[in-house]
Amino acid sequence: MGEAGVPHEFGRAFTDDNVPHPTLPRKRGRDDDCTPMSADSVVLRRGSSYAFQQLARAFNANATSWIGLIAFLVIVALAVLAPLISPYDPLDQDILARLEGPSVAHWFGTDSYGRDILSRLLWGARLSLVISTVSILAAMLIGGVIGILSGYVGGRFDMVVMQAMDVLLSFPSLIMGLMVVAMLGASMGNLMIAIALTAIAPFARIARAPTILVKERDYIEACRALGYSDLRIMTIHILPNIVAEILVMASLWLATAIRIEASLSFIGLGVRPPTATWGGMIREGFENILDSASLSIFPSLAILLVVFSLNMLGDGLRDAIDPKLRGGE
Amino acid sequence: MTTATDAPILAVENLVTAFRTGGGWHPAVRDVSFAVQRNETLAIVGESGCGKSVTALSIMGLVPPANGRVAGGHIRFAGRDLVGLDEEEMRKIRGDRISMIFQEPMTSLNPVLTIGFQIAEALHYHRDMGRGEANAAALELLDQVKIPSARQRFADYPHQFSGGMRQRVMIAMALACRPELLLADEPTTALDVTIQAQVLSLLAELKAAYGMAMIFITHNLGVVASIADRVAVMYAGEIVEIAPVNELFARPTHPYTELLLRSIPRVDRDTGGLSAITGQVPAIGAMPSGCRFAARCPLREPICTARDPLLVPLADAPDHRVRCWLRAPPSEMASEAGHA
Amino acid sequence: MLGYIVKRLLLAIPTLFAVLTIVFVLARVLPGDPAQTILGDQASQEALENMRHRLGVDKPIGAQYVDFLVNAVRGEWGNSLVTGKPVVEEVSNVLPYTIDLTVTSIVLGALVGVPLGVWSALRRNTWVDYVARMGSLLGLSFPAFVSAILLLLAFAIELRWFPVISTGKGLNSLVLPAVNLGIIMAAYVTRVTRSSMLEVLGEDYIRTARAKGVPTRAVIWRHAFRNGLIPVVTVVGLYLGILIGNSVLTEIVFNRPGLGKLIVSALNQRDYTVLQGMMVVYAFAIVLVNLLTDLTYGFIDPRVKRQ
Repeated sequence: MGEAGVPHEFGRAFTDDNVPHPTLPRKRGRDDDCTPMSADSVVLRRGSSYAFQQLARAFNANATSWIGLIAFLVIVALAVLAPLISPYDPLDQDILARLEGPSVAHWFGTDSYGRDILSRLLWGARLSLVISTVSILAAMLIGGVIGILSGYVGGRFDMVVMQAMDVLLSFPSLIMGLMVVAMLGASMGNLMIAIALTAIAPFARIARAPTILVKERDYIEACRALGYSDLRIMTIHILPNIVAEILVMASLWLATAIRIEASLSFIGLGVRPPTATWGGMIREGFENILDSASLSIFPSLAILLVVFSLNMLGDGLRDAIDPKLRGGE
Repeated sequence: MTTATDAPILAVENLVTAFRTGGGWHPAVRDVSFAVQRNETLAIVGESGCGKSVTALSIMGLVPPANGRVAGGHIRFAGRDLVGLDEEEMRKIRGDRISMIFQEPMTSLNPVLTIGFQIAEALHYHRDMGRGEANAAALELLDQVKIPSARQRFADYPHQFSGGMRQRVMIAMALACRPELLLADEPTTALDVTIQAQVLSLLAELKAAYGMAMIFITHNLGVVASIADRVAVMYAGEIVEIAPVNELFARPTHPYTELLLRSIPRVDRDTGGLSAITGQVPAIGAMPSGCRFAARCPLREPICTARDPLLVPLADAPDHRVRCWLRAPPSEMASEAGHA
Repeated sequence: MLGYIVKRLLLAIPTLFAVLTIVFVLARVLPGDPAQTILGDQASQEALENMRHRLGVDKPIGAQYVDFLVNAVRGEWGNSLVTGKPVVEEVSNVLPYTIDLTVTSIVLGALVGVPLGVWSALRRNTWVDYVARMGSLLGLSFPAFVSAILLLLAFAIELRWFPVISTGKGLNSLVLPAVNLGIIMAAYVTRVTRSSMLEVLGEDYIRTARAKGVPTRAVIWRHAFRNGLIPVVTVVGLYLGILIGNSVLTEIVFNRPGLGKLIVSALNQRDYTVLQGMMVVYAFAIVLVNLLTDLTYGFIDPRVKRQ
């Protein structure tokens, strides 16, 4: 899937020179030192309509992104509607009906306190989605600002900031999340902070690359001469070119965020019970694994479903985007 | 018509190679016919994207199968039709009887294998030589292509060589099994001008020594003048003119050829500015009907866009064929695109 | 080659110190007074002062830094605040288990992932490719503890092939955890091998090899594969970070001794010295992995050696 029509079997796609054959990729400009293409040779466009065009094209390139998107939206819908469609209150205990398997009364069975698993799943979905969405949005914002600033200002500042980002990146997400939550205590807010911290660096990097490219363009000087503020330059000229990439990163990191939140809840560092969290439910399931499989299986499937659909979305989009546009992965 | 006294080493007849783009198959190369005699150098000239590389790859059977295929015609080499030959048979011919060298010396050699190995490889597979024997032969080849200190450099890697040297290595690789035909796809385009001359003369020397035929693809008419016996001019996937080299330069007949020659900057003449050919080569999926050059041709007439012109020999020069309604109208006598 | 190895080893030393410095900074960032954490809220001022002196946190920061570096390298990482035993001992007790698990999973992951990735690249856009891509995407989507629990359910509880509660010793207790980590590893490796092979197969030198008449099998394995392996090595090195996170979860589920469980219990109990020791271990591990990766490059890619 992906690169439509590009011959990729043995042998380089041939061009006599650099004039585009409609199906064949442009040969990259290389010289003996293998220096990368100069800033001038990369095409950057402006405007929000271009951003939408690019997105539409990326989505339509293959089915995976659509499947992922739709599956994810279904889950979001279910989560949003949880208060309406949840058959029971997630905190309602029914000790007589502990650890039961699926039945007519409880489609997914009950947990160790007799609470309905399905209801808890729905409410857990809300929690997971809120935590991951907020943290990734924050990371996008903060990381994006850092990246754009760093690329724009350049020089020493840029170097220092990027070193800091590299350090952040070298920490495994889960360990970092563990440390932050252990230090600050387990609450929804702290979870969001922990997850956001792990995601800032990658977003900073993808925001920085095109910023640098744009900065080196002559027409930025012209814009400044015309009185455009730096902020305006950044919004109009830089953002449309990285929209699709940001979306890819956002979906993939959303998936990671959900995984981290679930893992932290599993360890016991998530939102405290009796609130329903997927990770917490699996922990309960683990503790009662010999008595009930449902409690382990259904939340597992739920997590898997969400993460997988987000991964499909991000992956499908990424395949469709020209690899040359990919910055710092 | 002159009949060739010796059978040509290669005879391409009505070759059609198509690519899949945007849902359909479109010919990148259409109705290409030419022959190459032993020891002859045929130059194929044209703009980027005109199909010259595709033609060479079709001869070698290296058209990427995922999106391209030879859709018609014949490629007769030493009595066999290469079109439709099974892959294993084709593989035996490649590197052994027909070789190819490519444009980009910097990327055409495998970075993790020594150059000695890469040269010896062809001998190993085609001549069944053991390592020792093949290495010895490869060393000799390195000498022949004038790599200094060949013995020491035998175990070096491509990144330790300059562009010109790498191209010599490529030549050594291609000539290892003494092929009867060499396809050279713009071998000097990526090199410095001074190195170009060296490599060209090396090629000429080896060609004479080995008694090879050569198809030399280029967009540089200056190079053509110095090395070719005959020239084929291609445009948009078709041969529009083919003639012996002196004849072509003396009497460029097709409007495109004429314009090409005129656009070469000349030091000795004051032409008052560079001339270029306006317009662009049509896209593969959007080929116009009729003559493909008509849109850019200053001589354009109604017949040009109505019907495809045929490749037709000139009345007074039978081995000079042109594809143009106006400059080479078909007479009753010679009305089919034939071999030359 | 020897020169390259030596150079890399020498470079590793400043890197080690850089990472240790980062660890030092991070450790000092932990909010709260370690003395207070240990002695509790009721402790007297004097007791706190004594504790601070014992811990060495009342010295100027520069002196602390030097102490830290020296102690880290000498393996004197203090004693656990919970058990009182030397941190080095706690760590070396569980280290073999973690190493076993890590190495086995990497090997498993590579043995499965590389051939699958190559096959997938060769059969691009056929059902093989599609299955491999979706499969690896699925494999990546499992949080490590989810797959661990499912494996436990299926193979230990239902099928009873493996003990449910393992001692950590012996092959039997290695299988499921290694498979768990191995699957995720294989997913990453498959993907990167596939994309790397695809890129390599489109390179000019592959076309040259074919033009020479090299048989397909040799084109793939002798010409393409070694080049394709280079990014895979990079990814495996990068993956180690994720592996650490995953092994923490795996060790919990399978009740297997290891650094993972040690970290979690230290975090839960605020065992300050163990935590710091763990971070030092982590620092050594990073440097070691980078070194190994660099050496592997030198082995595979001749361009690297001859700078």
